[in-house]
Amino acid sequence: MFEPLTEPFMQRAIVEMTLLALAGGALGCWVVLYELSYAAESLAHSLFPGLVIAAIAGIPLLLGATPAVVLAALAIAVASRLPGVGRDVGVAVVVTTMFGLGVLLALSPDSPPGVEALLFGDILGPSDGDIAAAAALVLLVAVALPLLHGRLLATGFDRDAARALGLSPAFADAALLVLLAAATVVAVQGLGNLLVVAVFVGPAATARNLTDRIGPMIAVAAAVAVLAGLAGLYLSYYAGTAGGASVALAIVALYLLSLPLGLRGTDGGRLSPAGGYDH
Amino acid sequence: MQRGLVEVLILAVPAGLLGTWIVLRGLAFFSHSVGTAAFPGLVLADGLGFAAPLGALAAALVFTAGNAALGRGRERERDSVVALVLVGCLAAGVILASDVFGSGANVETLLFGSLLLVDDADIRLAAIAAVATLLVSALAGQRWLAQGFDPEGGPVSRRQTLALDAALLGLIALATTATLSVVGTLLVASLFVVPAATARLFTERMLSWQLASVVLVALEGTAGLWLSVKTDAPPGATIACVAGAVFTLVALLRAVLARAPRGSAAVLAATLGLALLVSGCGNSGADADGRLAVVATTTQIGDWVSEVGGDAVAVDQVLQPNTDPHDYEPRPSDVAAAADAKLVFANGDNLDRWIDQIVSDSGSDAELIDLGADVPERLPGESSGEEASRYDPHWWHDPRNAAAAVREIARRLSAADPSHRRLFQSNAREYLRRLGRLEAGIASCFDQVPVAQRKLVTDHDAFGYFARRFGIDVVGAVIPSQTTQAQPSAKDVSELIDLIEREGVKAVFPESSLSAKVADAIARQTGASADYVLYGDTLGPADSDGATYLQMEAANAEAMVRGFSDGRLGCRLSP
Repeated sequence: MFEPLTEPFMQRAIVEMTLLALAGGALGCWVVLYELSYAAESLAHSLFPGLVIAAIAGIPLLLGATPAVVLAALAIAVASRLPGVGRDVGVAVVVTTMFGLGVLLALSPDSPPGVEALLFGDILGPSDGDIAAAAALVLLVAVALPLLHGRLLATGFDRDAARALGLSPAFADAALLVLLAAATVVAVQGLGNLLVVAVFVGPAATARNLTDRIGPMIAVAAAVAVLAGLAGLYLSYYAGTAGGASVALAIVALYLLSLPLGLRGTDGGRLSPAGGYDH
Repeated sequence: MQRGLVEVLILAVPAGLLGTWIVLRGLAFFSHSVGTAAFPGLVLADGLGFAAPLGALAAALVFTAGNAALGRGRERERDSVVALVLVGCLAAGVILASDVFGSGANVETLLFGSLLLVDDADIRLAAIAAVATLLVSALAGQRWLAQGFDPEGGPVSRRQTLALDAALLGLIALATTATLSVVGTLLVASLFVVPAATARLFTERMLSWQLASVVLVALEGTAGLWLSVKTDAPPGATIACVAGAVFTLVALLRAVLARAPRGSAAVLAATLGLALLVSGCGNSGADADGRLAVVATTTQIGDWVSEVGGDAVAVDQVLQPNTDPHDYEPRPSDVAAAADAKLVFANGDNLDRWIDQIVSDSGSDAELIDLGADVPERLPGESSGEEASRYDPHWWHDPRNAAAAVREIARRLSAADPSHRRLFQSNAREYLRRLGRLEAGIASCFDQVPVAQRKLVTDHDAFGYFARRFGIDVVGAVIPSQTTQAQPSAKDVSELIDLIEREGVKAVFPESSLSAKVADAIARQTGASADYVLYGDTLGPADSDGATYLQMEAANAEAMVRGFSDGRLGCRLSP
C-alpha cells in the first residue's frame, strides 16, 4: 500500500498529478458548464506553431507556446460570436488552421527535431520545471476563479440577464478560454494531450452528477480528480499498465460509477450555461 | 497526385453535405473525435492481423453507440460525454498498444493521413461514403432539418428521433473513418467543418448552403493540393491553412459588407477564394542532369548511397535527420523523386513500409531494394500480428551488416549504371576500409571496459545489434519495446530502477530523437548518469557529431564507453 510512496519517481509523479488534478478539477467545472470540452481537447494542438517558432528563434518554448495558445483562445472567442458559427465550429476552424500552420512551419530546416514530442508529456517523469509550473497554475486558478466567480456564474446562468447587469458575456467567455489556455500550456507537458482532456472534463462531469450547486461541485471535482490520479498511478504501479492511460481510465471509470447517481431525466432545474435553466 | 485530386473531389460530396449538418446540429466535436476514437480499432487490427479500415470502423461505431447511450437525456452535457468516451477509447488503445500487443500502431498516425498515398481501395471507400451520404440525406434531410430547428417538436415519435439521430451520427462515423487514412483526424475538420462554416457566412438557405459547401470543399481541396505540390509541403496541413484563410477572409468581408446586399457578398467571397487559389506561386526544380536518380529511405542508407555513388548519383533521401522513422508523413517531392528514380533503397522490416506505396503510387518502374533482407546478422523482431517484422529492424548498428549493405548498394548501382562501375567499386572499397578500421577501433575501445560494466539501459530497444557485436549486455529499456510509440508503466519504471541498482549500472542513455523525461527520472532516482545521448533511429543534423553513419557509430561508442566507466575512459575515434 505504501510501497509506491517510497519510490522517489512515484512521489514526484504523485505530486505533479495531484497539483494538476486540483487545478484541472476546479477549472474543469466551468469548462463543463460552458460546454468547452472541445476547446479543452483541441487547444493543445494550437500550441504547435508557437513551439516551432520558439524553437527556431531559440527562446524558451513556453514563451512561444503561451502567446500561440492565448491567441487561439481569443480567436475562438471571436469566431464563436459570428452568427451561425457557434463555439464548436469556432474551435474547429481555429485549431485546424493553427495546427496546419505549425506543421508547415515545422518543415523549415531550422526547426529542431522532436518539437511535436512536446505535446506528449509523460506523467512518470515530470521535471522540476513541470512541477514548479503546475504549482504556479494551482495558484493562478486559486486566485482567478474566486475573482471571476460572480461574472462566470451570472453569464453561465443567463447571458441576457448578465448583460442587463452590465456584465459582458464576451468578457466571461474570453477570460475562461484564456485561463483554459494557460492551464493547457502547463498541463500538456506534464500529462500529455490525452490526460489533459481527461482531467479537465471527467472529474467535473462526475461532480455534476453528484451535485447541482457550483461550490460543492468544484470541491467534489477536485477531490475526484486527485482520487483518480492516485488510483491510476497505483494501477500502473501494480498492474503494469501504461502510466497516463491508467489515470485516464480511472477518471472514466469514476464517471461511469457516478452515472446511476446522476439527476438523469430531471434536466429541468439544473445548472446550465447557455440558456439559464433547462426546461 | 491525380489520385489525390480524384479523392478530394469525391470527398467534397460527403464532406460538404455532412458539413452542413455538422454545423447545423453542433456536431463538430463529435466529427473530430470519431476519427481519433478509431485508434483502439487500429491497434486491434494490427495486433490480431485483420484489415485496418474494418477495425477503425468498428471502433468508430462503438464510439458512436457509446455517445448515443450516454448522451441520451443529457443534451447540455453532450460535449462532455463526447470527451469522456473519446478518453476511454484512447486510453484503451494506448494500453492495448503498450501492454498487450507492443504494437507499432500509434495515435500520431491518426493525426495525419496523406493525400499522396491514395490507393484504389481509398477511392472506393470515399465513393461509398459519397453515395451513402447522398442517399441518406435525400431520404432524411427534411427530418434532420426539422430536428435541427426544434429538437423536441415536430410530428415525430421519440423512437423516430433516435433513429434519425443514429443515422446522422453513423453516417458521419462512416464518412470520416472511411477517409481517415488519407485525411487524418485533424484534416477531417478542415474538410467536414470549416468549408460548411464558411459557406454559412454567406448563405442561409439550406440547398444553396449545401451546394456552396460542396463546391468550397472541392475548391479548397484542389487549391491546397496544388499549393502543396508547388511548395513541397504536406497536402493535409496546406489544405487546413487554405480553409482557415478562406474562412477568415469571408468573415472579414462579411463584416465589411454587413450592409451591402447578400448576393454581392457571396460573389466577392467566391472571387476572393479564387484569387487565393491563383495567388500561390512557387517553383519546383528537378535536377536529373544525366546522373543516376536514386531514392534512399533512411538517413544512414542515404549516407551510404552518397558515399558509394559520389558525383555520379543524385540521391533523394526521404527521412531527414532526427525524425522518427516510426512516424513519418510523405511530401510531394518524395513521390516525385520516386517517380523519376531508377533505384529505391529501403531498410525493410517494416521500419519504412510506407515506401512500397510511395513507389507504386508514383507510377514509377524503379527497382525497390530491401537492404535488410540480405544482411548477414539478424536478431528476432518482437511485435505480434501479421504485419509485424520477423527481424529487429535496427540492423545497421552492426558494422558487419553495414558492410553487406554497402556492397549491395555498389552492386546495384553498377548494374543500373555500368559506365560508372569502376567509380562505385572503388568508392565502396575505400568506404569499407574506413568502416573496418572504425569497427576495430570500437572493439578495442570496449575491450578497455570490464565485461561486468558493459551494461546498457536505453530509451527503446534499438541497440540489440550493436550490443551483440561488441559484447554489451542490454539490461533494459525505458520503453520496453522496439517501437518508440509505447508508453511505460510505473511498474516497468520501478522494475528497471531495481535492476539498475542491483546490476550497478552507471548510466542510462537517452536517444537523440526522443524525449528523455522518463530516462531523466530514472537517472535522478538511481544516481546513474543520463548525460550521454545515443543516435538510435536516425543520424544527427549536418553539424552534429553524428552526421554520417561512421560518425554516428563512433559517437555512440564514445558515449557508451564514457557512460560505462563513469567518465574515466573515452573512445575518441576519427572516422
